[in-house]
Amino acid sequence: MAAPATQLARSGRDDPPRTARLGAGPRARRGSGPRQSRLARDRRRTAYLMLAPATVHLVWWIGFPVAATFVLAFLHYDVLAGTATFAGLDNFRAIFADSTWNASIWHTVVFTFFTVPVAMAIAVVLAVLLNNKMRGRAWYRAAIFMPHITATVAIALVWMWMFEPRIGILNTALGWFGVKGPVWLGDPSWALFAVIMVSIWKGVGIKMLIYLAALQAMPQDVYEAAELDGASKARTFWSITLPLLKPATFFVLVVSIIDSFQAFDQLYVLTPDGGPANSTTVMTYEIYSKAFKEFQMGQAAAMSVVLFAFLLVLMLLSRRLTGREDDVR
Amino acid sequence: MPPPSSPLSRRRFLGLGAAAASGAALAACGGPAPGSSTSGGGSASLRMITPIFDRADGQKLLETLLAQFKKANPGVDVQPDYTSYGKLNEKLTTSIVGGQPYDVMLIGVGWIPPFAKKGVLGDLGTPAADLSRTYNPRVVQAGIWEGKTYARPIVLDTRLGIYRKDILSAAGITAPPKDLAELKDMAKQLTVRKGGTLQRAGVDILSNDLRQTFLPIMWAFGGDLFRDGKPAFDSPEAIDALQWMVDIVRTDKIEDYGFSSTSAVAAPLTQGRAAMAIGHNDLWRQFEEAKPELVKDDAVAGFTLAQARPAMFQGGTLATVAARSRYPQQARKLVEFLSSDQVAPQAAQQRGNIPAVLSAANSDYVRSDKLVGFAVQNLDHAFSEGGVPQWLEIRDQFKPALESALLGRTTPAKALQGLAEKAKAIMAKDS
Repeated sequence: MAAPATQLARSGRDDPPRTARLGAGPRARRGSGPRQSRLARDRRRTAYLMLAPATVHLVWWIGFPVAATFVLAFLHYDVLAGTATFAGLDNFRAIFADSTWNASIWHTVVFTFFTVPVAMAIAVVLAVLLNNKMRGRAWYRAAIFMPHITATVAIALVWMWMFEPRIGILNTALGWFGVKGPVWLGDPSWALFAVIMVSIWKGVGIKMLIYLAALQAMPQDVYEAAELDGASKARTFWSITLPLLKPATFFVLVVSIIDSFQAFDQLYVLTPDGGPANSTTVMTYEIYSKAFKEFQMGQAAAMSVVLFAFLLVLMLLSRRLTGREDDVR
Repeated sequence: MPPPSSPLSRRRFLGLGAAAASGAALAACGGPAPGSSTSGGGSASLRMITPIFDRADGQKLLETLLAQFKKANPGVDVQPDYTSYGKLNEKLTTSIVGGQPYDVMLIGVGWIPPFAKKGVLGDLGTPAADLSRTYNPRVVQAGIWEGKTYARPIVLDTRLGIYRKDILSAAGITAPPKDLAELKDMAKQLTVRKGGTLQRAGVDILSNDLRQTFLPIMWAFGGDLFRDGKPAFDSPEAIDALQWMVDIVRTDKIEDYGFSSTSAVAAPLTQGRAAMAIGHNDLWRQFEEAKPELVKDDAVAGFTLAQARPAMFQGGTLATVAARSRYPQQARKLVEFLSSDQVAPQAAQQRGNIPAVLSAANSDYVRSDKLVGFAVQNLDHAFSEGGVPQWLEIRDQFKPALESALLGRTTPAKALQGLAEKAKAIMAKDS
């Protein structure tokens, strides 16, 4: 039984079949001697060297900044004077005493609550529709995906024109029905809603694409069986399609939540300086503002740590809710 | 098939790793070490950041000016970094944190106290009395901190009352308002609505930055930003000023919130959608480009905002040298060049601003630009913002507070009292 194991080692496979592993007992592995041990060591070194560029990048550009953020969160760091003193929890106390930061947390949650599920629901429906054979299907897919690859600033500028209260297309259209449109981006009651609308529109394309990929990888025999059993289209969708989309849903959910919590550019361009009466300020904008407008690096770092904690908790929750399956089929 | 045998020994592996790490470290710490170059009058490569030459014509002008500077200072090269005031702090912060601050920084009035206090700026060594012979003394003071001169002025900008003579005369009004009470009465008369929709605002107070609209009104009512180093923008005078603005929008319906904004491409005043405005003096350029016939007909003019006293907002751009500049002597030469009476007027003209040098007060440009000319004649009524090292942090709190009052979410008194509390907290934290 030793021969298959030796052959597997020579063939360079990392993960021999279970039967082969079972057959190759300790005696068989010892039998290959110091030569195999040296080869394994050499292969490990090669692997480390291959991984080195990515590791250097990860440590230098991600690891150090993340570590520095955590350290800065506990320092009074005066960026202009170049001094730093230990602050304990002062920065955290300061940010949670700041009503604007607390408002920004709420706005981020509201923004996420509306953009993620709504965009996901629209994306599923669009993906299912565009998975069917229909005329111009490729064009529809491209059109829906287009906002995702268009520069956010360009999108925001077009939407700013559409939202313009006096000559914008939205209020003009509302005017045809005798409705006086609001000052979309200038009224605190409407500004966040307007930005959410733009974000949903922009985010649907990539979600639809992921769902489409998942739909196209689904086993057809299940659908054939459902058809033979006389299941309706709706029943098939609810009982087969949606459950089979669970791994893709988890992936989309996680990515969308991260995206949503990190949303900055569309909010920054559409409603500068946190929007009217700070009605659209979100956590990322407050971090930016605290660091680069007010030079309070310690507090900005503390805010970043809070944002990190939010995302971590949400990821764990999402994982629990969607059943720990994170591969896209 | 035999497994690929790796020729990599442990020593070679470690050697390669060390080389890679050294390379990365060297790349990250690139550039000459501080102090490695001469600080004397020899060759130098100066990095300069500027928020006032950001437009295409401005960049072209600066390149021409820098070529002149280089000719007069052989071996001194200047690398300009064009930015806007909106992005200035971001670039300054990253340069300071990165350990390579710009040698020369063109910054606003509000930047001087915090930057001087924290040791970012270098002392220019010129006494204020000497500068006052070249520049308006009011402007010179903006560059002084604790008795030392940290900045030389290049251009000034003002926020003032601007009116359309053609619209006022069509309504039978022959002179601009004498005070803010009369301004409001006139504005009511000049406001035009059709079916409830605002067609023309009697006065536009929303196209200009809200803080820079509020402050000159507050100064006109007799208020101050700070008194004895403490926030005073919740004083009765300041509350009256904000109430005046709230009345324009909410009570008298002279301008609807959302009718215009700072991001509006064209100001309502140039389009005839407003009869008067509180705005920037560079609006003249917009008139020259969009409505040259109004400029030709002398239909646009300025007025000071007055109530308890006449007032005008005055900002400006000043040239400074970084305390950690590797080439302080050459950097000071560049600062002197940019703020000289040959260069500063050109910088002002490309931006529609006011030259800081006294010698340009009667130049052709100042005489031809009626808003700049008006501002120059009334600089004695000008007030500047700032005054405390925490101003950059405090000023960002104004907009949401003012908006809350204008939107009726809170009263002017509560908005300003909340704002003052925030300012006190910021100042207490920093002290």
